[in-house]
Amino acid sequence: MSFTPRSLATNVISMRSSVSYILSHAPGESVMSHPDYGQHAQHHACLLVLVKGIGGMLKNFNKLWERIQKVNNIKVTDSSGQVRDIWVRYVRDYPVENNDWGDFQTHRRLLGLITLSKFTNQIELNEVCRVHESLKVKYTNTLYDSRAFMFGPISKKPEQEPETYSIFEDDKTSKESSSLGEKFSLPSDQADSLSSAESYPHSSSSTTSLPIQEENYTTPSNFKTHAMFYSENDPVTDLEQNVADLINSLFWVVESKRLERSREKIEKVSLLLAPFEKKDFVGLDMESRNNKKRCMGRVTKNLADLTLQSGLIADSLNLYHNAAEILKAVNDWLWLAAAKEGLCAASAILLYPNLRNPTPLQRNASLQESSPNKTKPLSLFQPNIDPFKKYKLPSSPLRSSKTSSPVNPPSELTPSSSESLETSSRQSETDNADTESLASSSDIEYQSQKSFYMSDHPSIPRQPSQINNQYLLNGEEIAEKYRKAIIHYSKYQNAGIIETEACFKAARIAVEQNNSLHASSFLQNVIFINLTLSEQEKIQRFDTLAELYKEIGFLRKAAFCQRLAATRQVSPNNPNPDWQRCYYLMLHSFPGHRLSLDPNYVIQHQVGWPALQIQLLQELVVAARRMGHPALATRHMTFLLQTMWPHLSRQEHRDLAIQLQALSAQCEGGPVPLVLETGEVIPPANLTHVPRCSAFLPRPPPSPRAPHMLKCKPQQGPFIFTPIHFGSLERKARKDEGKMEYLWVEDDICEVQMKLTNPLPFELKVSNMRLLTSGVVFESIPETIILPPDSPTTVNLHGTPKEVGELQVLGYSTHTLGVKSNCRLKNMPTPNKFLPSYTIEVIPSLPTITIETSVAPSGSVSLSSLENVGSTTNITLYNGESTECTMRITNTSNVPIEYLDIAIQSNMDSQLQSKVFQLSNEDIQAQLPIPPNESATVTMKLYGEADFLDLGGVGGENLFPNSLTSNYPSRVGSPVPNVQSSLPTQSSNAQTSLSSGLIPNRTSGSFRSSNSHTTSWSAPISVMPPSRGRQVEAQVIIRYSGGSGKEVHCRQSTLQINLELLPSMSITHWDVLPAEIPSQLYLVLDVTNLTSEEMDFHYTPSKHILIESKESCRVPVPLDRCPFNLTSRTNEESNSEDMLECKSTVTGSSVTSVEELCSAHVTEHVSLSWQLLHSETRGKASVKGITLSQAMIDIVRMSPLNWEVSVNKQCIKPQEELNCTAGECLSLGVGVWNHLRRPLRQLCLSVQFYQDYNNGVHTYKLDNRLATAGNNKIVLASLPESSKAYHECTVVFLTPGEYKIDIQCSTTEPVLEDIPVIGDTDHPSIIQPCPGEVSHVWRFIPPVAISVTD
Amino acid sequence: MTTRSWWRHGESYRMSRLRTKNSPLYIGGIGNDTNTDNELSRQWLVHTALDALEERLASNNSNTTGANTNNTRTDLRDLYLGLLYSTDTHKIYGYVTNTRIKLVLVTSSTSPSGSNIRDAEVRTALRRLHALYADAICNPFHLPGDQITSLKFDKQVKNLMLNNV
Repeated sequence: MSFTPRSLATNVISMRSSVSYILSHAPGESVMSHPDYGQHAQHHACLLVLVKGIGGMLKNFNKLWERIQKVNNIKVTDSSGQVRDIWVRYVRDYPVENNDWGDFQTHRRLLGLITLSKFTNQIELNEVCRVHESLKVKYTNTLYDSRAFMFGPISKKPEQEPETYSIFEDDKTSKESSSLGEKFSLPSDQADSLSSAESYPHSSSSTTSLPIQEENYTTPSNFKTHAMFYSENDPVTDLEQNVADLINSLFWVVESKRLERSREKIEKVSLLLAPFEKKDFVGLDMESRNNKKRCMGRVTKNLADLTLQSGLIADSLNLYHNAAEILKAVNDWLWLAAAKEGLCAASAILLYPNLRNPTPLQRNASLQESSPNKTKPLSLFQPNIDPFKKYKLPSSPLRSSKTSSPVNPPSELTPSSSESLETSSRQSETDNADTESLASSSDIEYQSQKSFYMSDHPSIPRQPSQINNQYLLNGEEIAEKYRKAIIHYSKYQNAGIIETEACFKAARIAVEQNNSLHASSFLQNVIFINLTLSEQEKIQRFDTLAELYKEIGFLRKAAFCQRLAATRQVSPNNPNPDWQRCYYLMLHSFPGHRLSLDPNYVIQHQVGWPALQIQLLQELVVAARRMGHPALATRHMTFLLQTMWPHLSRQEHRDLAIQLQALSAQCEGGPVPLVLETGEVIPPANLTHVPRCSAFLPRPPPSPRAPHMLKCKPQQGPFIFTPIHFGSLERKARKDEGKMEYLWVEDDICEVQMKLTNPLPFELKVSNMRLLTSGVVFESIPETIILPPDSPTTVNLHGTPKEVGELQVLGYSTHTLGVKSNCRLKNMPTPNKFLPSYTIEVIPSLPTITIETSVAPSGSVSLSSLENVGSTTNITLYNGESTECTMRITNTSNVPIEYLDIAIQSNMDSQLQSKVFQLSNEDIQAQLPIPPNESATVTMKLYGEADFLDLGGVGGENLFPNSLTSNYPSRVGSPVPNVQSSLPTQSSNAQTSLSSGLIPNRTSGSFRSSNSHTTSWSAPISVMPPSRGRQVEAQVIIRYSGGSGKEVHCRQSTLQINLELLPSMSITHWDVLPAEIPSQLYLVLDVTNLTSEEMDFHYTPSKHILIESKESCRVPVPLDRCPFNLTSRTNEESNSEDMLECKSTVTGSSVTSVEELCSAHVTEHVSLSWQLLHSETRGKASVKGITLSQAMIDIVRMSPLNWEVSVNKQCIKPQEELNCTAGECLSLGVGVWNHLRRPLRQLCLSVQFYQDYNNGVHTYKLDNRLATAGNNKIVLASLPESSKAYHECTVVFLTPGEYKIDIQCSTTEPVLEDIPVIGDTDHPSIIQPCPGEVSHVWRFIPPVAISVTD
Repeated sequence: MTTRSWWRHGESYRMSRLRTKNSPLYIGGIGNDTNTDNELSRQWLVHTALDALEERLASNNSNTTGANTNNTRTDLRDLYLGLLYSTDTHKIYGYVTNTRIKLVLVTSSTSPSGSNIRDAEVRTALRRLHALYADAICNPFHLPGDQITSLKFDKQVKNLMLNNV
């Protein structure tokens, strides 16, 4: 306790004087120890009245108390007709010790007593009366008057007799008792002068004499108080009247005392003492000049106090000033300070009249801030003035002559006018009185007398509005004077409480002046005042400090004080700690710490001082727990963790989390606001940091469950992607924020994916995680997870929407560490920016299905696809094999399937696809609708469509064809017309070549160009030879729908089918051979078995051959020749005649189409099938896409010329063996029919003899072996259609042997029709190798063979 | 207890949003008293000093707006607010930069030599601190409004205080 000296002058802030305690004595003796922190400067001018409830608790006590409080100002017209403004201060409790300071500052005297009591029977009534009387005794030193309001069961009011006061007497009594009650002997002469002739009854029993009339109850005989009786529920309409009555009477006492004091002889005045001073003056010479002045100064000060109280503010200013002057001269610091303070108070009252107008300033700890009518103005009382006016004041003995109405209604006289009018008279009167009294005091010092006069005369500005008193302090001066006063007070340890109160008063004035810095400096000073106070009072001190700090906007200081108060509440020194109040104090210090009860606000704004906030919150948690409100403790701890998370260290996180767990074990935290007893609402705190969510995204339904639009939207533009959004880009983007593109389905499980991290170093169990949604009804499935420390975990939350409409996903709820939290996305901590909500549209429920597939022939292959996960069916087929796949579609939902559409998508082109997969749509539609839990079966046929013609043998061309072709020398020489166009046409190729179908046939062009050599020996045009297996991936897309949303949305399931096509057989080479009968031919095929099994190959209905694995075999397939008329007929819409007359290009195409027709004919009539003996697999094969060279076509086609060959007039039958002898003359007749529909021109008919050595060598030089007669070659200029030309020649074989006759007809004409006749007859065009001229050769096949014998 | 200078440095104003953040940017000090309790109590002290500081600022502003322009000029220059208030053990000085960064200096009320700390000393110290602060936030990687964690700054501030003591 060592206060170092600080310079008073320089440092305005420190008002503590270092000379403190110079004059003070040992503490503890008669020290006013009950500070009244609620004091205001204006209370200096107030009459103090105690209002006490006694006896049984009145239920409307507070209401009455408020009503009484409103009667805080009455106007009394004094004896000179001047209206006095009398102010009253009501208190509910007043320590008697403070009463002792009544001499020092008269406003500390308790002047009146009002009791409100309740009784139900006589005993209680007696008790109530006794208490009332005892209270009177307690304050007997100062009490002037009292009232008792009694509420009892009696319905009839007791008659009330007008009270007869002896106020003067009363005054005397109290005065005497006040001065003498302390058994402190004053100088005798003074005592004599004071106790004038009147006798005073020493007990208060004589104060009032009230005959109490009751019917049932009687007050005890010693109860001598003006009592009013009411029934319990009486509205007590005359309460205000009675109170005003009391005040009125009090006023007169005070006024009389003032007058008396003012009339005192100045040399006779006794020394007024502050309670602790009593010992100081023992044995001092009171007659010394110094002490005389001291007495005078003190009395003047006392008079000033009384003057102020009795409503003469301006007068009091002068008196205060005078007192200060006198006291300063004698260094009476304490009283000087009091005088200065009084001066300040009086000035403040005049300067700031509204200080006293708003009544709220009655601050009792018991009803802090709770009275709602604080700001109600005085005028509330005024309606009651009129009845009050009628109420005649009982005559007071002194003032009986004067007609005075106790209250001047303001309507009658404005204070200014009335006062100014009355001023003079009053002045004169008072002057008279003063001069009288002063004059009588003969030996008064001139100085003081002068000052009396000086002070009295020029002053008295009656109008508060016109304040021109020379002693009136302005705002600055008030502060300065107060400061000085406080410094003076501080010199006395025993005046600590006075100093404290002065500080508060000064601070309140500074608040009124709007000078916060002054206010704060005054308040700061309070801290330094060292008082021995009870804990409760210390708390109160801090409380008041906090309130004042709050008023000047020093919220942090206020918070600091509140926190101090709170810690005091529960400090170990405090005998009865009050955790509840501690808690509330802490709670109310939130604004000063820049904390809000709403965690979201705190998180968003992040203001304030984290370290202090954390400290405060921790203390708050403790307070709440000790208070016995575990829910609050949990809530605040959650709040602490949530809001201060970024400011806490890892260790603190852990500790606090463990603490929270312990707290929540007592009371679980929930996301509901807690309402305190005071009505404050603690909003819920949600833990969003534990666990921390770093990602939150609603997921689209899994693909089989995802709804699709039934009809595709019309394409926006021609582009698949375009950066240009037609319409306004921006608006759309903004609108769709948080709106999900996908849909959720009613009654279907939906999913939200979150990424959670546990930031705590121990394993965290999060239970009951759900989704928070708004919009449609949503059933969330709780989830419990255990999060390991510091590893991000993906968590999926599920739920089911139960309605159709828009669903907003707002966040999630957790239950962890014993706290339930609703973590809303919009409140998420900043590092992860989430959209405030996700909006998802929920569509009506759609059916779900399961699909089982089974492949027919091998029934074992049965795949059931549950849960619609795109399942795969693997099917293996040999080329040409066919099978059936059965899909069993079961409706697993409660919604019937009313729409079903099956489509197949594969990597094949659509034509080929339709051959491989065959579905019957009608069959599907017939099975609809599928009710719940029933199934439908769809059968799909699969065929291993393939190209069997293999190009793989290109290199091996020589193996087989040469031998065949060599038989026909003429063929070598017959050029193939239009090599290019004779190739298989593109259309047929695309159509038939399976392998090329895999990709749009691009490579065929290049292939074709390099293909010229194959045309002589036709090979299939096939990108991929059939000898290799192929994979076909196809998806069966099943779109289905039902229920109310079937018009718009559907679901889609895909069934993957992997079709493996294995090679079965291939046709590597082929040729055509004329058959024995001219109407037939043999298609010779080289067939290879590509399987690993032995194959039974059927090439005609009756013929079959077994082919070993990987072996190839040549088979002749007998075939009818392509009928010529068919050829011509089916020639696309134009007969061959027209074709031939067309230009070369057209001719080319006609040749092509002819080839096509032949190819189709062959394909149609060749039916091949195979069977694998081991695995019993059967399949078909075709020669589709077969290409035929011109020579082959000639064979395949029926000849346009019919031959009639006869030997010796005998027709030769096919395969007929002719025999003759050498030298025999054979007549060979050749007839040629033209079956074409046009005449043939330049037809060259030739007969040639040759010998076939059967080794590939033909000998045409037979000059010495035979002789012919007649032309063996003639040229027919023209052979009209359907006409016949006949030529005959004779031959004689000279030597025996085997001869063959090649009969052929050739024309130069069909290809190039333009050349009509170019050297027709004499030019043997056959010789001409010109390919353009010889275009067609028809041959009589088989050649006629003649064996010549000797 | 040796003289302990204790700096507080903070109170950034976010002008753009016109809201005060009033959270500490930097707290540092020298002295042998590192007890956490005392540390906390000193923080309370500084925290409560902010009230006075703001009030003084506000009053300054009202003065300058109301008064002549001469005043404004001088006020603009004078960022030093002087003694905010003192307690039994500490004195608290304030300084506000033009960007409303508040610098608060807390010293013990008595220096070991017994002499009072002169106002001018405090003023220069705070000016230097201001300069240091300006240097520190020139760091392009520093986010305005964040706590200053620069070790260099810390060292410099401590040096400054030691020199002044």
